[in-house]
Amino acid sequence: MDFNPIVPTTMHVDINSCFATVEQQANPLLRGKPVAVAAYVKDYGCILAASREAKKLGVKTGMQVREGRSLAPHLVVLPPDPPKYRVVNRKLLRLLQSYTAYISVESIDEMVMNLANTPALDRQDMFGIARDIKTRIKHEIGDWITVSCGIATNRYLAKVASGLQKPDGLVAITRENILETFGTMKLTDFCGIKEGNGRRLMEAGIMTPLAFYRASVEDLKRAFHSVVGHHWWLRLHGYEDGSMYKEFSKDTKEDQKSFGQSYVLGTPYLPTDSRLWQILTQLTMKMGRRMRADGFAAYGVGISLMFIDHSHWHTQEKKTFPMFSDFDFYMNMRRMLMHAPERTVKMIAVYCYALHPDTDRQASLFPEENRKRDITCAIDAIQNRFGDFVIYPARMARMEQKVLDRISFGGVQGLPDVPFIEQVKHETAS
Amino acid sequence: MPETINEPVSVTLWSNHKTRKVIPYSLYWHGRQYHITTIGLHHTVWEGRHLFHIFSVSDGSTFFKLVMDSESLRWTLLEVDTIH
Repeated sequence: MDFNPIVPTTMHVDINSCFATVEQQANPLLRGKPVAVAAYVKDYGCILAASREAKKLGVKTGMQVREGRSLAPHLVVLPPDPPKYRVVNRKLLRLLQSYTAYISVESIDEMVMNLANTPALDRQDMFGIARDIKTRIKHEIGDWITVSCGIATNRYLAKVASGLQKPDGLVAITRENILETFGTMKLTDFCGIKEGNGRRLMEAGIMTPLAFYRASVEDLKRAFHSVVGHHWWLRLHGYEDGSMYKEFSKDTKEDQKSFGQSYVLGTPYLPTDSRLWQILTQLTMKMGRRMRADGFAAYGVGISLMFIDHSHWHTQEKKTFPMFSDFDFYMNMRRMLMHAPERTVKMIAVYCYALHPDTDRQASLFPEENRKRDITCAIDAIQNRFGDFVIYPARMARMEQKVLDRISFGGVQGLPDVPFIEQVKHETAS
Repeated sequence: MPETINEPVSVTLWSNHKTRKVIPYSLYWHGRQYHITTIGLHHTVWEGRHLFHIFSVSDGSTFFKLVMDSESLRWTLLEVDTIH
């Protein structure tokens, strides 16, 4: 079997330097200047996105702010502003939905669309559609925002193609140019080939992308010691392997396996410190609200800690009854926290799993359980009306560290639609 | 870095029912009028059922982040930044 012979109809759209570009879009005075968006603007904050100007000076995602400033002394460092990025994400989704219904939102700045059998593809070819998308983004979302588009017969190669030319790229990987394209790449340019998989390939004598492409299914199975090798062969030959991505336009609620929240502590605390319990309260409230908004209760809860020495501790519990209220989540997790090692905590993560649709629940025979549920629903209704955390448990009073709104890597579940977008259009005032 | 202001401000809003465009045209702050030349981004934020329209705008040399409370129709100047 050779490279997939079908016409390429998959397009990966990636907003270049998303957070930094959106900040430059919002503030025209920042355009053309090195800008970084960092989790915290202090020296030890982690850079989440660097503008193309900052990248040219060597500033990279994952660096500390002080490293970035040492490379670019005039670096403008901004804190994240998630509502801006969510609005741009939703606007881009709407724009792409005018071409096809088959769209998968991979993250806040990446979307994949399948244009097979769409009227858009009857009107023009994939390159024409990509250029049309780029033009419309400039007019309808922001003139400073650029995207890199990758075209291929499967999603993996479309993603690889989108990374080959940045910013504002447009690259297709086809059966005609696959050898030439892979000939210019390194193994580590492939998404999913870093230290572990890179070492496995090296040990099997596969040193280049071309050797990777030319290896047989059996060779790759031996290299990866599993069926993963077969998946890699399919990916590289332009076929969908079914293991890597969610389905196009599938309702993500059906796939929801868990809800979680995490927080990196600016000031580390011990597990027995009541200030850590305040943070735990806030995390469980955020997690519980998201879970209930999607119509679930959970049988399982888990808690995970990372200590300042970078060691980890983790525990989880499954109950015989589904948990619904923040109070239940908090009490269970605080009890679990009491078993944690007495070491200083740097990061705390909470999650609930074993989800169960709340509509299928059986009414409790115990009045206190029903009261707890009613109070939880009342608190949710108050927050829905007046905003998050307008009402909160007394233990959260005088909190020193607030859990900030953040964009998670790789997931964009629960994004609200853009309101009133048709009523407000932007233009340069004359 | 933008400077946080959080002060009430007067804004002239320009609306065209034919083109369905609504833009802040100028703002009056600390005894001075600023003519807005660029709308960088408009986005919205919900606090409960309370909707806020946020406009990131510039007069060419100063950046302003304005918020309009859709319930009270009052404007607040959130941030100001000047050329770096």
